[in-house]
Amino acid sequence: MTTEPYLVQHIQDALAADPRARELGVDAQVVGGQVVLTGTVATPGLRAAIGEVVDEVVAREVGPGLQVVNEVAVMASGDDGPAEELS
Amino acid sequence: MTRVAAVGDIHVGTDSVGRVAAGLRRLGERADLLLLAGDLTRCGEVAEARIVADELRDVTVPTVAVLGNHDHHADQAGAVVDVLADAGVWVLDGTATTVEVDGVTVGIAGAKGFGGGFAGACASAFGERAMKAFVEETAGEAERLQRALLGLDTDHRIALLHYAPVEETLRGERLEIYPFLGSHLLAEAVDAAGADLVVHGHAHRGSERGVTPGGIRVRNVAQPVIQQAYRVYDLRDPAARVA
Repeated sequence: MTTEPYLVQHIQDALAADPRARELGVDAQVVGGQVVLTGTVATPGLRAAIGEVVDEVVAREVGPGLQVVNEVAVMASGDDGPAEELS
Repeated sequence: MTRVAAVGDIHVGTDSVGRVAAGLRRLGERADLLLLAGDLTRCGEVAEARIVADELRDVTVPTVAVLGNHDHHADQAGAVVDVLADAGVWVLDGTATTVEVDGVTVGIAGAKGFGGGFAGACASAFGERAMKAFVEETAGEAERLQRALLGLDTDHRIALLHYAPVEETLRGERLEIYPFLGSHLLAEAVDAAGADLVVHGHAHRGSERGVTPGGIRVRNVAQPVIQQAYRVYDLRDPAARVA
């Protein structure tokens, strides 16, 4: 069985390498018997793909019993923010 | 007043069609130019660059970009630049360009930059060949940025980077990864040459505002940081500054 520190890194390696994700900006932590994913990504589709990739890594390395909680956010892209005046 | 819009890390993939374009719809009313601070694509594939070009098709203001590390991943950076250039985007790589807005000139010097860390806790060009190559890559980026800035004789000068030049705009990131997020060599180059503003991306969990040791404003415009389609910075025109 993979110990937690290696599992966290294997998750991040998989997110960088897997063509569905290619993502470096997601953190994984093992907290309270769960794998919690945090960070902000570009699209809802990418957020879902990240969940799939991590589910697969956890199933392969740990097996059932460790739940993946996908707390990854999708970045906002509205255009109504204020301008900043640089004097 | 010159209105500079800036955003980085839009990470356009094949599932992103329309997302960026929607945010840029009112850009022409709100800004005079657009700066893109790298990581325009998710993996640096030419197909993704074509989507970026298409997302920018309705942008009417001059658009200037640098590439980021993601834009290099597929080893097709040259082709990515060609696609963007065909769409009218100025892609800088240790080079500069000048934009004129109502008689006011804005010079933009751009480079991707690279990592290495920050003064007092950074990598040194010592030991293994790979280590020296890592540090020399950053030193070369900084040197070319400085030269490009010095070559500008414009009312405003902006340094456009992907990697961070200061630690302040990394606040929120884990300290351990600072050496992979930027280098003080980039700030030193900007301070030596002078500029009105430094814009960068790359640090998704960082903070928007910082300043170089020489007092030049730094803004991290990574989209996950600004949580906007772009941020607008108003530069006061030279005549107004004197008044």
